[in-house]
Amino acid sequence: MKTNKALSVSLATLLGASVLLSACGSNNNNGGDDNAAAANDSAQPAEASTKKVTIDFWTFWGSETRRPIIEKIIDDFNKSQDRITVKHTYYPFGDIWTKELAAVAAGNPPDVIVNDINTTAQRADKNQNTNLTEYLKKDDVKGRFFPQLWDTVIYKDEAYALPFTTDTRMMFYNKDHFKEAGLDPEKFPTTWAELEEAAAKLDKKSGDKYTRIGYSPQYAGFDWGSIAMNFDKGLNFFGPDGKPVINDKAHVDAMNYVLANAKRIGQKNLDNFKASFGSKQANPFIAGQVSIWPDATTFYTQLRDYGQNVNYGVAPIPEAEEGSGHYSVGGGFVVEIPKGAKHPDEAWEFMKYLTDKSAQTYWAEKNFDSVANQEAANDPELLKNPVYQAAVDNMKVTKLFPFPVNAPDFLNLINPNRDAAILGQVPPQEALDKAQKDVENLLQQNAK
Amino acid sequence: MASAVKKRRMGLQERKEARQGFIFVSPWVIGFLVFTAVPLLFSLYASFTNYDITSRQDWIGTRNYTNMFFHDPLFWKSLHNTLYYVVFSVPLTTLGSLLLAVMLNQKIPGMKVFRTVFYLPSILSGVALYILWQMLLTPGSGLINVMIGWFGVDGPAWLVDPVWTKPAIILMKLWSVGGGMLLYLASLQNVPEQLYEASEIDGAGPIRRFWHITVPMITPVLLFELITHLIGGFQIFQEGYVMSNDMNAPGSPVNSLLFFNLHMFLKAFKVYDMGYAMAMAWFLFVVVIVLTVANMLLSKYWVHYEGGDNR
Repeated sequence: MKTNKALSVSLATLLGASVLLSACGSNNNNGGDDNAAAANDSAQPAEASTKKVTIDFWTFWGSETRRPIIEKIIDDFNKSQDRITVKHTYYPFGDIWTKELAAVAAGNPPDVIVNDINTTAQRADKNQNTNLTEYLKKDDVKGRFFPQLWDTVIYKDEAYALPFTTDTRMMFYNKDHFKEAGLDPEKFPTTWAELEEAAAKLDKKSGDKYTRIGYSPQYAGFDWGSIAMNFDKGLNFFGPDGKPVINDKAHVDAMNYVLANAKRIGQKNLDNFKASFGSKQANPFIAGQVSIWPDATTFYTQLRDYGQNVNYGVAPIPEAEEGSGHYSVGGGFVVEIPKGAKHPDEAWEFMKYLTDKSAQTYWAEKNFDSVANQEAANDPELLKNPVYQAAVDNMKVTKLFPFPVNAPDFLNLINPNRDAAILGQVPPQEALDKAQKDVENLLQQNAK
Repeated sequence: MASAVKKRRMGLQERKEARQGFIFVSPWVIGFLVFTAVPLLFSLYASFTNYDITSRQDWIGTRNYTNMFFHDPLFWKSLHNTLYYVVFSVPLTTLGSLLLAVMLNQKIPGMKVFRTVFYLPSILSGVALYILWQMLLTPGSGLINVMIGWFGVDGPAWLVDPVWTKPAIILMKLWSVGGGMLLYLASLQNVPEQLYEASEIDGAGPIRRFWHITVPMITPVLLFELITHLIGGFQIFQEGYVMSNDMNAPGSPVNSLLFFNLHMFLKAFKVYDMGYAMAMAWFLFVVVIVLTVANMLLSKYWVHYEGGDNR
């Protein structure tokens, strides 16, 4: 009797398991026909369009600065019409996308979500977001956006998200330090070689200890990878044909540039100095520890709030040689409809609103973010701020590098080799050859 | 089997009790089956597919396993890092907590205060602790290197130098020896006093008393601690994620903190290669179960159970 029961219980479990498994299998089979699904969805609401609908919008904007801003935009949208009500759900940055992944897998996702701009194609490839082609046929909003941002939302020639914000990196520099070192505070170095020369003049020592370091590529937001992209004229790690070009000569040159700076100052001095960096008032640029600080546009808000006494200027990223181009790098966020959302049509209406001029201008004004909508970015009120003006000008040379779908984690293979080169364990050429080989190997594994 | 069932029929009362018994345990049985057994079996199945949660789940045979063993350099790197950690950390923490327990077992005034003080650090845990240790381990101005400097020695660059990152983590983990200390302390106090007295009369010194009475008497706790620490050691993950030198490169510098579970996590949740991650999980499961079974088998040669071997 007992054994019988145990047997039937385990049989039932196995059955249950196989039902579950096959259910999972069939759920996942409709990867190919996104178009059909989107078309079906948009066919329904013609008759249902008078019905009131509540849609769920997930963001990671919960801070006391950002939350009121996004909620004001949502509120404005809710008041602008009486059919769709948007409900805002906040999840912390570290959780939101894992939660979304689980929700998509369970077939119960939010209707709109904010996600990373550089992984849009990856999510499209994995069937996690909704193809927008049908919607774009009705409302062609493509022209709103900076073209390089639009490129990031494209997967196999079709759009899967709308760009929301972006950023660009520029050189913030301390004009007082420039004067003190006998440099022209109105003229920031144009080439990397000139920058290194100026940096040496800006260093300050007491005994053999540094009290100020003019510039190091190992500080702030424009590291070897970005400099390598600037040196190779905006190409970065993959050629136009999608083949990896990690050990390109320009990238080795960039590594040598980083190493020359480290050699001049001493890697140990750089590390020790970095360990004393703080944030807010103690940010190394605001505290006067570092004279040249590459950072994203929003660094302005820190200067505004904590660095009233800093006399600073903003300049484009230098270029490898005269005329080769002041290439910078950007990132940002998109809004998209997770796969399987209940109200994609209403979600689309809201996404249009989010990326339209008024919402984008408001967001830019309050957050000092670079926004994706070109017209909003060029709002005359906003351009009165010189940093904002510089950021908008910088968009012309700003590149974005979405992760390739067939090797999304290639940086995990480059980074250790980069570290090994910077630590002096391996010569630059050898390190990058190794990185090249590792990434080729990853592509080969994923091609199967 | 049918005849076996017929041979002994349950009485009415007996059957009622059996039914009630099954009803009472059913929440746990169902819970175990639904939330443990089925996911476990599913992950075994999915490790032979290219499962990525949302778009596909095709049978690809043993490709995940062959990729893992023959094509993924980070797999071996991460396995090496985790083994390094386990090999050094498990004996050191065991030794550390045992030593601490013996010291805190002395009969001197104010011992309760010492016990509390040494146990306190193990209450603190998580990311806040790692941030604190990052400060302590700062190469130039961190407290640890400043203290090493008092002896005229230039301290290592700890979390910046790939050679020193894992020793730094192992050192940090010694912070929480208090938890193990508590278990050892309890078992030390259970060692019967008369054993010590008898051996003292026979002329045994303190060291012999420790080796021949104390250690054998606490071997069951030693075994328990060894097995749980071993399993826990293989699960190391957060430290590499949080304490990396470059926030955008978990496990940095030079992947010296890329632990097995961190690599698995990145594969599963950053690039959605869930099938591959599940294959990694099953490999680790096999490694841990082999070690645990070996430990249990070997234990009969060195673990001493007071009151018979049937425990």
